[in-house]
Amino acid sequence: MSTTVSIASSPLTEWRTLVCKEIQAGRRLAGLFGTATGEDVRITAALADLTGGIRLLDTVLPSWQRDYPALTPDARAAFWYERELHDLFGIEPTGHPRLDPLVLPLPDTTSRPRPGSSVQPGTLHPTEEAVGRHVLGPGMFTIPHGPVRSGVFESVEYLVETPGEDIPFPQIRVYHKHRGIEKRFEGLSIEDAVLLTERVEGIASVAHALAFCHAVEDLAGVEVPRAAGLVRVIHAELERVANHLDVALRLAEAAGLAVAIARLGWHKERVLRLVSRCCGNRFGRGVVVPGGVSDLPRVAAAELAGELPRLERDITGDEQVLMATASFLDRLRGTGPLSTDLAATHGALGPIGRASGRTEDIREVDRDDGYRHLDPITAPHADAGDAMARLRVRWAEVHDSFDLATAAVEQLDHGVPGSLRADVSTVQGRGVGRAEAPQGEVLYVVEIADGRITRCKPRSASFHNLPLFHSVFAGDILTDFPFIEASFGLSIAGVVL
Amino acid sequence: MPWVFRGLRNGVLTTGYPRRPDPYADTFRGAVTVVDPAATGEVEELCPTSAITRGEAGQVALDRGRCILCGHCVHQRPDAFAWAEGSEAARLTRPALVVPEHEEDDHALAELRTELARRVRRLRRSVHLRHVDAGSDGADEWEIAALLNPVYDVHRLGIFFTATPRHADILLVTGAGARGMVQPLARTLEAMPQPVVVIAVGTDAISGGLVSPSYATSEGVGHQVPVDVWVPGSPASPFAILHGILLALDRVPTRRSEVPA
Amino acid sequence: MTATFLIAGLAVLAAATLVDLAVGVRTTAGRLAPHLLCAAAAVLLLIAGLRATLGAPARVNLDDWLAFGNAGLTLDALSGLFLTIASAVAVPVALVFASWSRSTERLRRRGLGALHALTLAAVAVIITADNAFVFFFAWEGLTVLFYLLTGFARHRPGRARASVLTIGVSKSGGAALLLGLLLLATTAHSYRLTDFTSVHSGVVHGAAYGLLLLAFAAKVGLAPVQTWMPEGYAAAPGPARALMAGVAALVGFYGMWRTLALLGPPPLWLIIVVLLLGGLTALLGIAHTTVQQDLRRVIAYSSVENAGLIVTGFGVALVGAAAHLPALQAAGLLAATLQAIAHAVAKSALFCATATFEVQQGTTLLDALGGLSRRMPFSGAAFGLGALTLAGLPPTAGFVSEWFLLEALMQQFRVSGLGYRLPLAIAGALVALTAGFAAVAFVRVLGLVVLGAGDDAPRPRTDTGPAGRVGLMVLAAGCLALAALTPLEIQLIAHGLTGLVPAGVTAQASGANWVLGPVFANFSVLSPSWLAIELPTGAIVVLLLAWWASAGRVFAVRRVPAWRSATGGVTGEDRYTPFGYANPTRRVLASVLLTRARVQQLEHIPEHARNEIDPQANEHPTAQLGYTVDVVELVDRYGYRPLVKPLRALATAATRLQSGRLDAYLTYMLIALVALLAVVTALS
Repeated sequence: MSTTVSIASSPLTEWRTLVCKEIQAGRRLAGLFGTATGEDVRITAALADLTGGIRLLDTVLPSWQRDYPALTPDARAAFWYERELHDLFGIEPTGHPRLDPLVLPLPDTTSRPRPGSSVQPGTLHPTEEAVGRHVLGPGMFTIPHGPVRSGVFESVEYLVETPGEDIPFPQIRVYHKHRGIEKRFEGLSIEDAVLLTERVEGIASVAHALAFCHAVEDLAGVEVPRAAGLVRVIHAELERVANHLDVALRLAEAAGLAVAIARLGWHKERVLRLVSRCCGNRFGRGVVVPGGVSDLPRVAAAELAGELPRLERDITGDEQVLMATASFLDRLRGTGPLSTDLAATHGALGPIGRASGRTEDIREVDRDDGYRHLDPITAPHADAGDAMARLRVRWAEVHDSFDLATAAVEQLDHGVPGSLRADVSTVQGRGVGRAEAPQGEVLYVVEIADGRITRCKPRSASFHNLPLFHSVFAGDILTDFPFIEASFGLSIAGVVL
Repeated sequence: MPWVFRGLRNGVLTTGYPRRPDPYADTFRGAVTVVDPAATGEVEELCPTSAITRGEAGQVALDRGRCILCGHCVHQRPDAFAWAEGSEAARLTRPALVVPEHEEDDHALAELRTELARRVRRLRRSVHLRHVDAGSDGADEWEIAALLNPVYDVHRLGIFFTATPRHADILLVTGAGARGMVQPLARTLEAMPQPVVVIAVGTDAISGGLVSPSYATSEGVGHQVPVDVWVPGSPASPFAILHGILLALDRVPTRRSEVPA
Repeated sequence: MTATFLIAGLAVLAAATLVDLAVGVRTTAGRLAPHLLCAAAAVLLLIAGLRATLGAPARVNLDDWLAFGNAGLTLDALSGLFLTIASAVAVPVALVFASWSRSTERLRRRGLGALHALTLAAVAVIITADNAFVFFFAWEGLTVLFYLLTGFARHRPGRARASVLTIGVSKSGGAALLLGLLLLATTAHSYRLTDFTSVHSGVVHGAAYGLLLLAFAAKVGLAPVQTWMPEGYAAAPGPARALMAGVAALVGFYGMWRTLALLGPPPLWLIIVVLLLGGLTALLGIAHTTVQQDLRRVIAYSSVENAGLIVTGFGVALVGAAAHLPALQAAGLLAATLQAIAHAVAKSALFCATATFEVQQGTTLLDALGGLSRRMPFSGAAFGLGALTLAGLPPTAGFVSEWFLLEALMQQFRVSGLGYRLPLAIAGALVALTAGFAAVAFVRVLGLVVLGAGDDAPRPRTDTGPAGRVGLMVLAAGCLALAALTPLEIQLIAHGLTGLVPAGVTAQASGANWVLGPVFANFSVLSPSWLAIELPTGAIVVLLLAWWASAGRVFAVRRVPAWRSATGGVTGEDRYTPFGYANPTRRVLASVLLTRARVQQLEHIPEHARNEIDPQANEHPTAQLGYTVDVVELVDRYGYRPLVKPLRALATAATRLQSGRLDAYLTYMLIALVALLAVVTALS
C-alpha cells in the first residue's frame, strides 16, 4: 500500500500544461480517462513516477464544451486513451492525429455510455464503420486478420495493409468485444465488484482483483493481514507463471514445435490445476477479497512446498531445450523490435517494457501485500526489445515467481496467526490501486459512495501496451506476425472493456 | 533431437475420460446445487447474478446458466446450498440448467435428442470444431485451447479444431454476446456447412453472467445463434467443455457421474 | 508448284496492302478486307512452306529483277519449316486482327492493314531469301515496319520512346547484320548465302558468326539487346503485338538456324557466350514477367524469357556441332524448335486475348483486371491455355518443349571438355530455375486476372467478333494439339532440319507407340499423346467416383460469400492483388531485380505528389504512410543509362560538324577519301 496518491484539479488550459510538464519531468502517463458528472465530463490524467507515486490531475469539461486540445501531439502514450474518451463520452480531442473509433464505434448522433453518470444507456449497436487506409502504395491491399481468426483466439481484428509480404503498419480494431464493463461496475457493492474485476481480463483475474482491492484498502486505510498477503502472493505468482507459459506455448505454436507445444501445454495445465486445488477455481477467482483473502489454500503448505519446486524443475528442463532450439530462436531474434526510446516515451509496461530497457515492476515499487515480507526482487530486464528479449524476460520472471511463491508458502507453513480479512466496510471517496499483472501494471481508479461503486476505471497493461503493436513491424513480414503477437502476450478482453 | 527424448519423458499423461472416470473431473467444483429447496430467508439476495430464485410455491431454485460459481451462497447458507463436484454440467436445453430439476418433459427431450442425432449422424468419429469469441473475458479461450494439450488431447477422440468455419461441424461460442460480434458471428455461422451444432460455452455465453445487463451485450449468445448445448461454468472447465461436445455427439457413456442435481 | 503458292501468297499480300491504302478505313469492308486477305495469303504461304519442308523445294529467280547478281527466293527444307510455322500462326492472328479492326473507335486511319501485310511479306522474304542483299533489305524493311507498328497508336503515352527504342536497337542489329554479311561476302567472294559455306574458320568466320548472332539476338530479345522489347510490344496496337512477337520474331530464330547451317560450328568462346546469355536472359526475363504490373509488359518480358530458353537450346546444338555429335545437335535444335513453335502459338494467343481485354476493360494494368474469363470466355480460354503453355505445364505444348529443352541440357555428360560442360551445366541450372518461376509468373496472371474475382459490377458478356473467336480458338487448340501430336510435329521438324542434321537422327526422338525421348535412346521417355488421353480420363473418373461416393451430393453446393475472417468495413482493395502475389518473387530475386522498398511519412509529402506513390491516393485521405516497392531493369539501368550522357554529348559535338557550309562538307569528303585510300593501300 505504498502507492502514494495525490489528486489535483485545475482548469483545462492549466491542466494541459501541467500534464505536459509532468511528462517532461519524467513521469509516465499511466492513464487518461473521463468520468461523467452530471452533464459535465471530468477528465483525469494519471501520472506515475518511479517511486510509487501516482498523481491524478483532474480537469472538468463543462457540458457546453465538447472539445479540448488533444494531448497526443505532446504525449504519444495518450493516443489510444483519447480515442477511447471520444468513443465513451463523445468529446473531441482536437488535433488528435487519427481519431478513429476504438472501443465503441457509434454514429455521432447516438448517445454515449458516459461512465460515471448514473444514467444507464439503452442498447448501443456498434457500427462496422469502414476503417480508412493508413498506407498508400502501389498494389497495396488489406488482409483482414480477424475478428474470427484461425485458431482459438479472442476476437480482435488486425488489418494488415501490405504489398504482399511486408507489413508497413498493422491497424487494430478491438471494438468487437466491447462489453460495457465500466458502466456495469456502477451501483455494484464492493464485494460484487471484485467478482467483476476478476472478469475484466480473465487470464489476469488475481491481478485485477488485487489492484481493485488495493484501491479499496487504500481508501479504508487498512493493511491486509500478513497471512492474507502471503496467500495473495502465491496466487498472483502462479497466475504469472501460467500466463508466461501461455506466451511460450503460443510462440512454440507459431514455430510449430509439436513436442514443445505439448510439454508447455502440460505445464500450464498443471499450474491451473494447482490453482484449482488451492481455491476451487482454475483462475484463482474468489480468492482475493477487499481487505484480504477468502480462505487459506486448501492444499497443505507442506504439499505446496513440495509441488512448486517439482513444477519449476520440469519447466526449467523444457525451457533450456527450447532456448537452445535454433529453428525457434531464429524466428525470435530481431523480430518485432521495440526501441528503448519508444518504450520510454510510451511508458511500456510489464515484460514488453522490461525487454526494452524499462525497469519498473509494481511489486518492487509498491511492495504491498506479502511482498513486503519477502526478499525484494529485482525485475529482470533487457535492452534488445525483440521477441527474444521479451521471452527471456518472461522466463526469468517465471523463476522469480517460483522463488516468491515458495518463500510465501514457507512462511505460511510456519504458521501465521491472525485473521484473513481486514475490515473495509465503511469506505468512501476516490482511491487508486495497482498491481503487477503478468502483462504489466494494472491500474484501478475507484469511486465509492454509500458502499456502492459510482465509478470504476480499470486500466489493464494490455490496453496501454497494444498501441505499441503498430510500431514494431520493422522489416518484419507476414510470417513473423504470429510471433510478434504471441510475444506481446496481451488479452483483448483487457483492452476493450 | 532433444525434443524426442523430452517427449518420452513423462509417459502417458492423457486422461481416460470419457471411457474411464477422471479423478480431477469428478472432484472439480463444477456447479452449485440446492440442498434444501425449502430453505427460508432472503436467499435470492445472496447471488450477484440473480441465479437464485424462489418459485410460486416458495421452493428455492438455482439457475446454473446464471451462476458464476462465486460461492457466496454456499459460504453464507451452507444449509441451503452446496458445491456439486463433477464436470458434467452441460445440458441440451436451457431450462434443464435450473436445479433442482423440475419434471422433464421426457418426450420433448427425446425428440430433441433425435433431432440432434440426425444432424450429427454423419460426423461419426471425425468432428471439426470452430470457436468464436463473442465477448468473453479471455479465460474461456484458455480452457478451450487446453483441450488440445496432452492431458485432454481431444484428437484421440477424433475431435479437431479447424482454422476456417468452412470445415467446421460444431461451433463453440464463448462470451456474453457482445454486440460488436453479432455480424461476425452471423457470418461465421453462414460460412459453416449445414447442418451446424452450436455449443454455448460458459455462463457468460448462456446468460451474460456478471457482465449483464449491459448496453453492449445481448445477455448470452442464445439471442444471436440457435444453441444446441449449454455448458455452464465461469469459465467452463476443459472437462465441462469436452462433456458438452460429447453430449452434442451423443457420445457420453451413460454409466455415471453427472453432476448431481 | 511450291513456287506458285509462294508467289501467290506474296501477291495476295501486295493486294492487301493496296486495298488498305486505296480503300481506307471508312467502311467495314475496307477495314476487314486487308486482314482477311492476309489470312488467305498466310494459308497460301503455309501450303508452300509445308510442301517445301516435306520434300518439294522451290526457287523463284529474281536475277532479272534485281541487280544483286544471283538472287532469288529459295524454299528449301529449313526455310519451309520456318515459313510453315510463321504462316500457321499468322492465319489465326490475321483473323483476330480482322475482328479487332471492325470497330472504328480503335482504327481511325488507314495503314495498319498495309503494315500487317507488309510485315508478313517481309517475314516470308527473309525466310526465303538466298542472297545476302535480298536478306538484308527485307530485314531492314522489317525493322522499319516494327518502327511504324510501335508508333502507330498516336494517342498512347510512351509511344515515342518505345518506337525510338525499337528502331534504335533494331538498327544496331541491322548494322551488325550488314557488317557480318559483308565480312562473309568479301571472304566468300559471293553474295549467295549458300556460298558462305566456304568460310569454315578463322577470325573472319568467328567475327561474322558473332555479328550475325548479335543481329538476330536483337530481333528475338536476347539480353543485353532486349531492352526495346517490353516498350515496343506494349506500344504496338492490339493484335499487332501478336504479329510482332508471335510471327515476326521467328525470323530471328530462322537467322540463327540458317547461320548454323551455313557457317557450321562457331568458335568455343561464342558457344559459351550464347549458352550463358541464353540462361541469363531466361532468368532476367522471367524475373520481370513475374513482377511487372502491366499485362502487356508481362507478356513482352515472357518473350525475353523464351528467347533465352530457345537460344539455350540453340547453344546445345552449337555444342553438338562443335563436338561432332549430330545427335546432340539434333537434340538441341529439336528442343529449341519445339520451344519456338510453342512460344509462337502461345504468345500469339496471349497477345490476341490481351487485345480483347484491353478493348473491353480500357486498361491492361493487372491490379485493375480480374475475373476476365467470365465476361470474355473465348479470349479467357485462349489466354489461359497460352499462359499454361508458357508456364510449361502439362498437357500443353510448352510442357513438352521445356521437357525436351531440359533433357537436351542434361546431355552435357556426352561431351568432353570443361569449356563445354561448365556453361551447359550453368545454363541448365538457370533454365531449371526459370521453369520454376514461369509457373509462379503465369499462375499470377491466370489465377488473379483471368480466373480470379473481378469487380463485382455485373457487366455483359462481350468478346471479340466471330472471326476473332475462330482465331483465338485455333490458337488455344494449337497449344493442346501440338502437345498431343508431338510425334507428327517432330517428323515435320526432322524434315525441316535436314540441312543441319540428317532427318533420321532427329526423328529418333519419336519412338514407337507415340512415346518420345530426347533423341538419345534409353535416356528418358515422355508421351504427351498418352498424357492427353490419360489426364482427361483420370479427371472424369475421379469426378464420377466422387459423384458415386457422395450419392450425387458433391454437386449440391450451397454458395456463400468467401470466408474473410468475418470482417466488415474494410476500405480499399481487400483481396490479394497481382502486385502482392509478386512480392515474394521481388524479394527472392532481389539480386536480379534490385528491389527497393521505401516507407515515407505522408505529412512530409505535399498532397499533389501523393499520386506518384499511389495513383488512387485521393481515395484514401486517411493514409499517413507511403510505401513503395520498385524494381529496376538491370541491363537498362547499368548497361545503357550510363551511356546516354556521353552519347548525348557526342551527338551535340556531331551537330557542330553539321555547319551547313558547303566548303566544310567538301573538306569532310576529302578527308574521308584520303583515309579510305590510305587504308586500301595499307591493306594491299
